[in-house]
Amino acid sequence: MPLSILLPMVGLGIAGIAVILHLLGLSRAAVLGDEAAARAAWLRECPDRAPRRIILSHDRHAALIETDAGPGVVWAMGADTTARPLKDARIRRTARGLCIDLPDFTAPHIRLRLDPDEAAQWPTHMKDSA
Amino acid sequence: MSDMITFPDVVNWAVPFFIAAILAELVWIAIKGRGGRYETRDALTSLLMGAGNVASGIVLGFVAYGFFMLLWAITPLDLGTSFAVIALCFVLDDLRYYWVHRFGHRIRWVWASHVNHHSSQHYNLTTALRQTWTGTFTFMMVMRAPLILLGFHPGMVLFVGGLNLIYQFWIHTEAITRLPRWFEAVMNTPSHHRVHHGRNPRYLDCNYAGVFIVWDKLFGTFVPELDSEKVDYGLVHNLGTFNPLRVAFHEWVSIFRDVTQPGLSWRERLNYCVMPPGWSHDGSRGTSFDIKTRYISDHPELAESPGFQSHDPRG
Repeated sequence: MPLSILLPMVGLGIAGIAVILHLLGLSRAAVLGDEAAARAAWLRECPDRAPRRIILSHDRHAALIETDAGPGVVWAMGADTTARPLKDARIRRTARGLCIDLPDFTAPHIRLRLDPDEAAQWPTHMKDSA
Repeated sequence: MSDMITFPDVVNWAVPFFIAAILAELVWIAIKGRGGRYETRDALTSLLMGAGNVASGIVLGFVAYGFFMLLWAITPLDLGTSFAVIALCFVLDDLRYYWVHRFGHRIRWVWASHVNHHSSQHYNLTTALRQTWTGTFTFMMVMRAPLILLGFHPGMVLFVGGLNLIYQFWIHTEAITRLPRWFEAVMNTPSHHRVHHGRNPRYLDCNYAGVFIVWDKLFGTFVPELDSEKVDYGLVHNLGTFNPLRVAFHEWVSIFRDVTQPGLSWRERLNYCVMPPGWSHDGSRGTSFDIKTRYISDHPELAESPGFQSHDPRG
């Protein structure tokens, strides 16, 4: 197929599908319904680190996890979730909450949307459980 | 020799079909309220990976093609282009695909290229297009060398490989549950391939087939989809990014970091490239075998059930 046809078709196809998905409401972030859901999401990624304490964010799109091996975080990745221990993390306040920088190429910047009181408290919890 | 033979680039010609099928699956899910899930950024990443795969083929395709034409120049054999030869080439190339795919899960250097195909936590037709940008660097093109040396024209080998990829597109769906028993027995199906995309310990490293599932049954890597255990899609350690560049290159970066850490022997550095994903010199990580072993120690009653039957650490 000539590139003059292939390239526009691929470009328009990708853009069109993305727009349709967004208009269908399929861009919503995953919600952690309760602590049990946050626990399950954490254990799905880190089965050997049982949570000692779970703090859900007010919007329930993330949770701070305290374990005997140190803190971690679960957060929405689109309609799903993922999780990371916070070893060697650098935590920054942002206008919308926190940004956690990790030495992890697959999750270098975890941007959490938190209320101001949460954004103030979570770094303390992270240090206390480290 | 039939040097001037040309075969159509079927994957590029299938692009309109891919787009139409994705829209049809989306409409089906929206109307029925079942049969799969879509999410905007996940689907967008998959589609961009697919576009990047086509682009990398355009940019780097000459490497494999040059290698194949070199083999074609030195082989004294030419099987021609009859329908029977093309059909035989298709079957043998599917056997080639089985082994390349199996190596792709058992050799970290090859996994670094293939991992992105498994990096979505969704399983829909866009997942099929989440393809590698770095396949050339795995050097798995050598697996096609026997076919060309046997007298199958390079263009034909690439043509049947394209047909193989197109076949595999439609099996990336949850909209189809099970197909007739005779079909499930011989062909790779949505059910068989869902299992392949599972991160459940039971479903790790199985069902490598492209078109014919008989290869897995023949080589002992077949695991059926169990109604009692829903497939959990994605990687053992799921990504925390939708950035296509990170999706495409993350395992290569990880290999580089492992190989260049101080204090390792040369054998350990090599092993970080060629041992199964999850291998580490100090045993601090886990391969799929380790994951299955740990799971069975927690659930000994499942020891002889599908996916855990005498699982071989050598892959």
